[in-house]
Amino acid sequence: MSIAKFLLRRFLQGIFVIWGVITIMFGLRAVSPGDPASLMAGEGATAEIIEQVRVQEGLDQPLYLQYIEYLQGMMVGDFGFSWQARREVSAIVIGRIPATVELAVAATVVAIAIAIPLGVISGTRRNQPADYSATMFSLLGISTPNFWLGLMLILVFAVWFGIPYPSVGTSSLPLSGVSVPYPSSVGLGMVDLPTGRRDVSFGVAVSALVFEQSLSEMGTWLRHITLPAITLGTYFTALITRLTRSGMIDELGKPYVTSVEAKGLPSVLIRYKHVLRNTLIPIITVLGLQIGTLMGGAVITETVFNWPGLGLRLIDALHDRDWPVMQGIVIFIAIAFIIINIIVDALYASLDPQVSDE
Amino acid sequence: MISDRVKSNLKDTFVDSLLPKVGLVLLIAILVMALFAPLLATHDPTRTGHFHETGAPYPPMGYSYETQVAQDGEFGEVSVESNSTHVLGTNNIGQDVYSRFLYGARVSVIVGLSSTLLAMLIGVPIGLVAGYYGGRVDDGLMRVADTMLAFPALVLALALIGVFGESPVHVPDPIVMAGFADGMPETIPIPGTVTIVGALVIWVWFARVARGEALSLRNEEYVKAAQSFGTGNAQILRQHILPNSLTPIIVLATIQVAVIILLEASLAYLGFSGTTLSWGYEIERGQDVLRTRPWVSIVPGIGIMLAVISVNLLGDWLRDALDPNIDQSKRGA
Repeated sequence: MSIAKFLLRRFLQGIFVIWGVITIMFGLRAVSPGDPASLMAGEGATAEIIEQVRVQEGLDQPLYLQYIEYLQGMMVGDFGFSWQARREVSAIVIGRIPATVELAVAATVVAIAIAIPLGVISGTRRNQPADYSATMFSLLGISTPNFWLGLMLILVFAVWFGIPYPSVGTSSLPLSGVSVPYPSSVGLGMVDLPTGRRDVSFGVAVSALVFEQSLSEMGTWLRHITLPAITLGTYFTALITRLTRSGMIDELGKPYVTSVEAKGLPSVLIRYKHVLRNTLIPIITVLGLQIGTLMGGAVITETVFNWPGLGLRLIDALHDRDWPVMQGIVIFIAIAFIIINIIVDALYASLDPQVSDE
Repeated sequence: MISDRVKSNLKDTFVDSLLPKVGLVLLIAILVMALFAPLLATHDPTRTGHFHETGAPYPPMGYSYETQVAQDGEFGEVSVESNSTHVLGTNNIGQDVYSRFLYGARVSVIVGLSSTLLAMLIGVPIGLVAGYYGGRVDDGLMRVADTMLAFPALVLALALIGVFGESPVHVPDPIVMAGFADGMPETIPIPGTVTIVGALVIWVWFARVARGEALSLRNEEYVKAAQSFGTGNAQILRQHILPNSLTPIIVLATIQVAVIILLEASLAYLGFSGTTLSWGYEIERGQDVLRTRPWVSIVPGIGIMLAVISVNLLGDWLRDALDPNIDQSKRGA
């Protein structure tokens, strides 16, 4: 089977799964307790207004008609209308994408930059102190809840070391037993908790650098993103370190390594060029599979650092019981996950032609 | 179902390496904490301090924790009492951090075990049937599995909790009921929805592993022989397929307990657990007083970490010892 055929099959499977995702989310909304029309009309709405909303939004229609309409909307990118924010859900989602992508990419960069050298060192110096520390580090990294890690980083760097950090007032209101982080603008700040809130987007920072030759925006961006990126990236750093280590151990035992060693190539070149390259294929696969964990982690990291991405918006929508926004974000994340996995498969297929023969 | 070779392998790998021993010690410590929390606790974990006894539901407008420390005498909440009896201090509302740590272990252990068990009960039968029969049943299951796996676990859990709400189940505490620990809460709130949602999120993994096992076992000679004797499919599944697929399922279950503990903590941190007696919830609460009372967040975080480390270490050990396909040189990786 050719690569093109393999990808076509993956693509069709992807379409099917996306349909499944949309159907599950619609089904969840259908079984959810609570009347959508009265939620939509807002608190204190009269019965007449609620009925009006119901008719207007087609909520009086039979469920299967609503479902067809929902699917039709999805096909043209219409994710519905937010009950709370009174905006198109698609606009809300699009507005939040850049922050989440920035965070996810930064975390991946941090993870790869630390993990690959660490894994190589650990794999080539087995059972030496360096190997033990790397193994210990990856065990801790996999077992630490990232929201706690984020708080501890804030505690150590901002509170104890007093490193000047952008400070955002957060406060918690006991809201039916649930605490909701509010931005300082609400005016209820109880304590100034330094967070990595994103004031400057990457795009703004780059354009300031290019057009005004100003480094300060870039500095601000870096200062904001460092702790969140480390928080989100630690799990992956630990995971990739493990994978690189065991991959290196496997590869180093193979005959071709002995033969290039016999040729007298420097060991650094052998390790990083020949051996590491062969180790990368399984790493890419696992990373692709773990994108979901990355997205779940982003929800938490964004909440800890008040980072205005999709995850923080999802939590807000859940607290507000704003179903369309919640559905829109969950479906968007799932679709992004599916697409990334197809891309990973394509990469994998082009790296290793045997895959497409399966 | 577990051969002598596997048993000796389990023993050898345990004796040879340090990490499984560390894992076991940690696990025992956490289980003891969870089981005997009412006996080990020094305070009722739900009893709030002086500030709350004034009747204020939460700090009034303009109240800041900075001033609270400055005026500790006035609010009279911690300073006098804490040094003598609150081993790890108190949290923002005057509850004993140490006692809440013990009870947090309880909630984590109960949710971790029951959710994983539930996921096994859902996933394993479905997977075995799909793998054994193959064909349409199998195709259907795999598509459902693909769809479930398209959601990041935490995101799916949040969506499900958004639907079902978060309701704690109040489980009576046998130790307190028997009168061994007076003054401790008679019931503990277990996040019931989180338990079910956790199982709904991870059952797919059990189904996939069970399917893979059944798929390879159905072509074994002894299964073919049983079929030729006219043994019913249900009996073959129960007597031959299930016992022989247990090993990878047990390994998976161990690791999934850690996944659930982290999931519960994350949901509680985000405020969707429905119980206030949880490590994750406590970390969230400590966030507000991170500057003045960092221990409120530090202590439960260490609890989560130790619980997850212990389960991961034991999971690694089981995986390496039970799975003959894994190269022994990778042990400890």
